[in-house]
Amino acid sequence: MTAPLTPEQADRLAVSWRDAPGLWGFLTTVDHKRIAARYILTVVLLMFLAGMLALDMRLQLAWPDMGRMTPQLYNESFSLHGSTMLFLVSVPVMEAMAIWLVPLMLGQRALAFPRLAAFSYWLYLGGVLMLWVPHAVGITPDLGWFEYPPLSGPGYAPGHRADIWAQMITFTEVAALAASVNVVATVLKMRPPGMTLARIPVFVWSQAIAGLMTIFSLPAVMLVTSMLIADRLVSTQFFAPAAGGDPILFQHLFWWFGHPEVYIIFLPAAGFVSMIVETFSRRTLFGHVAVVLSMLGIAALAFGLWVHHMFAVGLPRLGNDFYTAASMAVALPAGLQIFCWIATLWSGRPRFDTPLLWVLGFIATFVIGGLSGVMAASAPLDQQITDTYFIVAHFHYVLIGGAILPLLGAFCYWYPKATGRLMSERLGKLAFWLIVGGFNLGFFPMHLLGLMGMPRRVYTYSEGMGWGPLNLVATLGSAIAVAGGLVFVANAWWSRRHGALAGPDPWGGSTLEWAVPSPPPQHNFDHLPVVDSLTPLWTQKEALQVMTGLAVERREVLVTSVIEATPEYRQKSPKPSIAPLFSALAVTILFIGSIFTPWALVWGAVPLAAALIAWFWPQRERATTGPLAVRR
Amino acid sequence: MPQTAPNGAQDSRAAAYERNLYQVAQGGRYFTWYGCGSCHGRSAKGPLNLGDRVWVHGGALDQVYGFIAERHPGATAGYAARIPAEQLWQITAYVRNLPRLTPEKRRRQDLDQVGEPQGSNWTGPVR
Ligand code: HEM
Ligand SMILES: [Cu+2]
Repeated sequence: MTAPLTPEQADRLAVSWRDAPGLWGFLTTVDHKRIAARYILTVVLLMFLAGMLALDMRLQLAWPDMGRMTPQLYNESFSLHGSTMLFLVSVPVMEAMAIWLVPLMLGQRALAFPRLAAFSYWLYLGGVLMLWVPHAVGITPDLGWFEYPPLSGPGYAPGHRADIWAQMITFTEVAALAASVNVVATVLKMRPPGMTLARIPVFVWSQAIAGLMTIFSLPAVMLVTSMLIADRLVSTQFFAPAAGGDPILFQHLFWWFGHPEVYIIFLPAAGFVSMIVETFSRRTLFGHVAVVLSMLGIAALAFGLWVHHMFAVGLPRLGNDFYTAASMAVALPAGLQIFCWIATLWSGRPRFDTPLLWVLGFIATFVIGGLSGVMAASAPLDQQITDTYFIVAHFHYVLIGGAILPLLGAFCYWYPKATGRLMSERLGKLAFWLIVGGFNLGFFPMHLLGLMGMPRRVYTYSEGMGWGPLNLVATLGSAIAVAGGLVFVANAWWSRRHGALAGPDPWGGSTLEWAVPSPPPQHNFDHLPVVDSLTPLWTQKEALQVMTGLAVERREVLVTSVIEATPEYRQKSPKPSIAPLFSALAVTILFIGSIFTPWALVWGAVPLAAALIAWFWPQRERATTGPLAVRR
Repeated sequence: MPQTAPNGAQDSRAAAYERNLYQVAQGGRYFTWYGCGSCHGRSAKGPLNLGDRVWVHGGALDQVYGFIAERHPGATAGYAARIPAEQLWQITAYVRNLPRLTPEKRRRQDLDQVGEPQGSNWTGPVR
């Protein structure tokens, strides 16, 4: 333990890491906390919009033979709802949580590539605008959240609706790759001294693994949507069987990404759950190694399952059998994790505050989603239930149950760290019961509707089908859940001013983020902590050990070795810059232009090159000695 | 939905068809379904080529529609007896848009649609 910083040093450090004031600071900041906050606020807005679309659809389906929506409007609504929820909400929000939390949990002052994080947000925003601005002027994709050719090909999808969808994907996936590379590099090379691989918190593991999965899976979907755009724009024949192309190729490449995507969403959620369970059981997580290994197991298996989305395509029988077996195999590591959480709760002294409630809601709901998943993974059964409401029920159970509920728990858990105030427990419990109760009331009947034969993506049904009563219940439940969502947001809004003051560690957490003030100062840590266990704040009760030596007069971070996290060198961390915004704007021009003309790729490369050159312009003095010395 | 032929070159209903890509594309499908493509396909030459901006019987909206509906040889005295009015509007929109469709694009769209029943190879409704 060393003396705290002198007041002069503290001031100097604050100045080094400060953003410029006002708008300029807003546009140039590379602070991971500000960037993540932006991501999260954008996501909340989009979740509201997509939720309203969902409620609108549920109203349309509440009674048979309703005419308030046309089939076209219904098609647009579920396409926009599904695409937004998956590409613009679920994946980005998990990245945002990583951008915010990973440096804090690693005791670091910044991410490995701060400017890349800023670039990632601006591009993500480009993707949001790409989908929603055309929607505002009436050009909405209408072919669902996966747009298979030939339906989305040049022969059947005239106009630009399909292009907008495809290019929105390119935007968000470049943004996601930028974020993932950043997180993975940070986790591998910027850990506090003493945090060997075995001492990395589960949440950080989950984000690193999800990041690696992103890096391996997202290029496939960018490739396939670009091929689709090429088919539509310059008449290539990737998906035209009459000319030797293959529409099934689209499905393979899409689901090569699409299946891992659900785990890219779920693993970080499992990370939230692990942290919350540990803190609120007041004991170390049971089976830390087992949980981390199951995450790795899920990540590996996830790449061998994609064909279960294609059982109805007519692939060879043996293929279907193999993927049925592989899909059921994921239940093992997933189940193992759940047993570890239950064991932790069982053997701990659980405290039932809202974050833990969300986790319990998650366990119940996710188990139901997992069971319907095992059913859908069985090829013969899937032939019966594919494209019915059973599937709609299943994926909402896993997406809402497996990702959104833990996310809400994580919001409650880290909200005091981000804002300095606790959220109201009473409003929190109200929101919990409304959302979990409403959700189960609304979505459980959809299983039955599916078994009764109600197809998904229909804008109405006739009275004689007998689906009316259950649909009415489904709508009622959805409305209750949406109301709960509004209570949740209202709670967050209200607590920002009126919540109880939190202090640095309101929950008695075990990981490093709880060692800094709430909200954390811009440089996070005055000194780099030194870690001696998985739960440093519990084992170093008196005072956290720290390492000194990082500069206070400029932005510096510590780089450590991959396995043992031994300090290697001090690294300059970049200052705020406008270059990420300009580069993102240049990419935006290129992407939007390229749905109209292939020449956009050529001419759009010019501003992009200029922006990137400005971004990477060397700032160090040329060497005066050695082989690279300036020659005179 | 129009029930009647255009009442002149400037019929106010035209924009909804000619400037709507969906309607134009629908016209393209009927164009193949009714077998127009067997003579006016991509490789058609001379007067059969509808994409060359040369209109033997006039290129205005009412002229093209009128010719297909009332005077086209082959079908006895035009297609009006076989094709409903809205589809004729769509087909007219497609035909009048053909000069703007590049040959590659037209070929690519045809490739997507070869699986569909067209003119002579239509074997009746699927049972
Ligand atoms: C209370 C909240 C929600 C309600 C009431 C709701 C309702 C609906 C409805 C009515 C559909 C259309 C079903 C059909 O006709 O086929 C749908 C589709 C879908 N929803 Fe939700 N939803 C909600 C939240 C979510 C969330 C949080 C996610 C993802 C994280 C999500 C992902 C999807 C997807 C991927 C589709 C499929 C779209 C497609 O068919 O292309 N939904 N939802
Ligand atoms: Cu899957």
